[in-house]
Amino acid sequence: MISVQSLTKQFGTQTAVDALSFEIPAGQIVGFLGPNGAGKSTTLKMLTGMIEPTSGTATVAGCDLRTQLLEVKRRVGFVPDSGAVFESLTGLEYLEMVAALYAIPQDAALARIRQFIAFFDLSFATLTDKLLGAYSKGMRRKVVITAALLHNPPVVFFDEPLDGLDANAAVGFKTLIQTLAKEGKTIVYSSHILDVVERVCDRVIIIDKGKLLLDGRPDVLVAEHQAGTLEHLFTTITGGAELEQRAADFAKTFRP
Amino acid sequence: MNPAPKPVRTPAQTLRHLFLTLFLRGRSARGLQKSGVPQSVVKKLAFTLLFYGLFGLFALFFVRQSVFAMSLYLHGMTLVFLGMFIASSAGEVLFNQQEADILLHRPVEPKALLWAKIAVLVQVSLWLAGAFNLVGFIAGRYALGGSWVYPPAHVLSTGMEALFCTGSVVLGYQLCLRWFGREKLDGLMTTFQVIMAIMVVAGGQIIPQILRRFGPEGHFTGDAWWMVLVPPAWFAGFDDALAGDRSLRSWELAALGVTVTATILWVAFGKLANSYVSGLQTLGEAGPARPAARAAERVRQRWLGRVIDAPPLSWWLRDSVARASFKLTLAYLLRDRDMKLRVYPGLAPMLVMPFIMIMQGYGHHSQHGQNGPDISGFGIAFAGAYLGLIPMLALGMTQFSQHWQAADLFRAAPLAGPASLYHGARRAVLLLLVLPLVAVFALCVWLLGGDMASHSLLLLPGLIVVPLYALIPSLGGRAIPLSQPTESAKSAGRGLRMFGVMFASMALAGMASFTWAKGWFWPFLGVETVVTGALYVLLRMSLNSARWPSME
Repeated sequence: MISVQSLTKQFGTQTAVDALSFEIPAGQIVGFLGPNGAGKSTTLKMLTGMIEPTSGTATVAGCDLRTQLLEVKRRVGFVPDSGAVFESLTGLEYLEMVAALYAIPQDAALARIRQFIAFFDLSFATLTDKLLGAYSKGMRRKVVITAALLHNPPVVFFDEPLDGLDANAAVGFKTLIQTLAKEGKTIVYSSHILDVVERVCDRVIIIDKGKLLLDGRPDVLVAEHQAGTLEHLFTTITGGAELEQRAADFAKTFRP
Repeated sequence: MNPAPKPVRTPAQTLRHLFLTLFLRGRSARGLQKSGVPQSVVKKLAFTLLFYGLFGLFALFFVRQSVFAMSLYLHGMTLVFLGMFIASSAGEVLFNQQEADILLHRPVEPKALLWAKIAVLVQVSLWLAGAFNLVGFIAGRYALGGSWVYPPAHVLSTGMEALFCTGSVVLGYQLCLRWFGREKLDGLMTTFQVIMAIMVVAGGQIIPQILRRFGPEGHFTGDAWWMVLVPPAWFAGFDDALAGDRSLRSWELAALGVTVTATILWVAFGKLANSYVSGLQTLGEAGPARPAARAAERVRQRWLGRVIDAPPLSWWLRDSVARASFKLTLAYLLRDRDMKLRVYPGLAPMLVMPFIMIMQGYGHHSQHGQNGPDISGFGIAFAGAYLGLIPMLALGMTQFSQHWQAADLFRAAPLAGPASLYHGARRAVLLLLVLPLVAVFALCVWLLGGDMASHSLLLLPGLIVVPLYALIPSLGGRAIPLSQPTESAKSAGRGLRMFGVMFASMALAGMASFTWAKGWFWPFLGVETVVTGALYVLLRMSLNSARWPSME
């Protein structure tokens, strides 16, 4: 469903993503991990057609990223970590606008939106009466997730999707994406909350400084590296192993 | 029978609808209930159009002038209004950074985005131009040499001017993007907007002066060579060619207007449309800054740090809180796009007016005796008093920020009240804005030489009240910099206060020039210093004892 070969992005002299290659079949949930500045968001933006790769190729949902950009965009959903929305629109106006961009008839869009409202426990009145600028962070995130899934895309990219969601909504969301994957959708899930990734994802890809470090099932990788947890494995291979000791040492400086 | 399904809007229609809605609601709509929004938008729009329409009534003063003079006034002011509107809106409409995350992964051609945005800008421009010219459409018919052809001719030329204006601004942005790339785009767009806004505001002040100076008794024509450099003259030539005296010169100006407008539209919307596509993509790229840019920023910060740490600034900023606030305000005045777009164009009329007053005085001075109550004296005194308003206006604007919620930090800090924060912000404004301007004005007056230079002392009454005016924005518990949402930046109360102080400045200038002419200037200056000093001490004591205003 997603095939990436030697995908590279350079900003001036700095290489943000360095010849990244991987394949993701349909129905898989892949955790896309890396420390800050590793090139995760840049990769996701390239795979959703938001920015142009410097070199390399990729196909998403069977469409070539370079030659069939609009087709790629029709087939993907994306939840950016910024959670950006047009704050001067109501939630309903925003979702109707998104539906129109995917040519979803208005009645069908409204029916679909109602299903999402019910799922996320939102009130229809809130969606119609309040502008997005006045929404709480969690409510706004629910609208952004709805906007990404409204057109029923076969491939969905999530960048920190749980940011701002309350515990109940987060649980519901995790179940939702697992079920979507069982239905055949490909999910790429980028997050820093590693215990969630470990529980939800079938596979993890870890990158650092734009390069691929590890790729495999989380339990297998953890066992291979005798790390105990994915979090421990992550900190070990991304150079954060001494973090605990450093944190303990630093805490001592607070002593009166 | 089921009702027919609603037709799906095309992406182009959806985008036009989206950008028009966003534009009309604007930032001020954020946080409102929707029930309040349509009313507020309709009201705002209706008031804006009404205001433009009322302003258009001034066209009646030109009924006894030639068609060319009336059209030049109408097109000049239309260009000012549209230029101001487009310069302040186009950057946000064309290059909204957040928009990349919302729209660039959707199946939309970036070219369709550009066209939808341009359509909205042109549409709103035409509304505004139509409202302002409503009276002019009819009044032109009755100008000297006017005919029934004037209304349709002026409709055409006004539409062309709206396209010229939109095209020019869009072209400016496209060129910035093409020549300077992503890294400098944001800063350049801000600078471009600020310069555009300053130019149109200055133009708005200067055009009536030009008409008054060069066009007495309705004989104002487009014959002067420099008319080819003045875009409103091209469109006035268009009106004159079709509905006025139909001279060869008018046809030349009209042809120039049509050619330039067509060329700009072709380049901006046709040739350079692809730059916009890449521009939107590059705005979505979060690449690191170039080493050279980082180095330049480091050098600037180091230089600024040294200036602040060295006397006399280190003496002036002994209090650590005032010092921190000084640095914060300085950073926002130099770096923050939103702040720069509000402060510098907002100050532009303040900068232009004193120059006009000085130049007027300069032109008329020879008609009056050196010892009589001459107009040049009032001009300089008024320029000084006007300069005094700058810190007040600037400090009023530095209270507002898009990042106002971050100002909660100040309340969380162990500070009894906001006084030190305000003192820091006040000093930043005085140093960055007022001091250079005073130097420039003093230099101008000195360069004009002769009697003008001897009158430069008349700047003093205005300058003496600067510290007092700079404390006024802190009244009413509004002394915390960057702590108010930008949506609340405009209020009738602020406007009223500004009007009051402007009135006081005029009175001060009047008294200064009167006492100068009568030979009582120095005693007057003494009294003014004592009164201002007393008021300053009172205001400062009140500010220093102020506690945090309620957050409710």
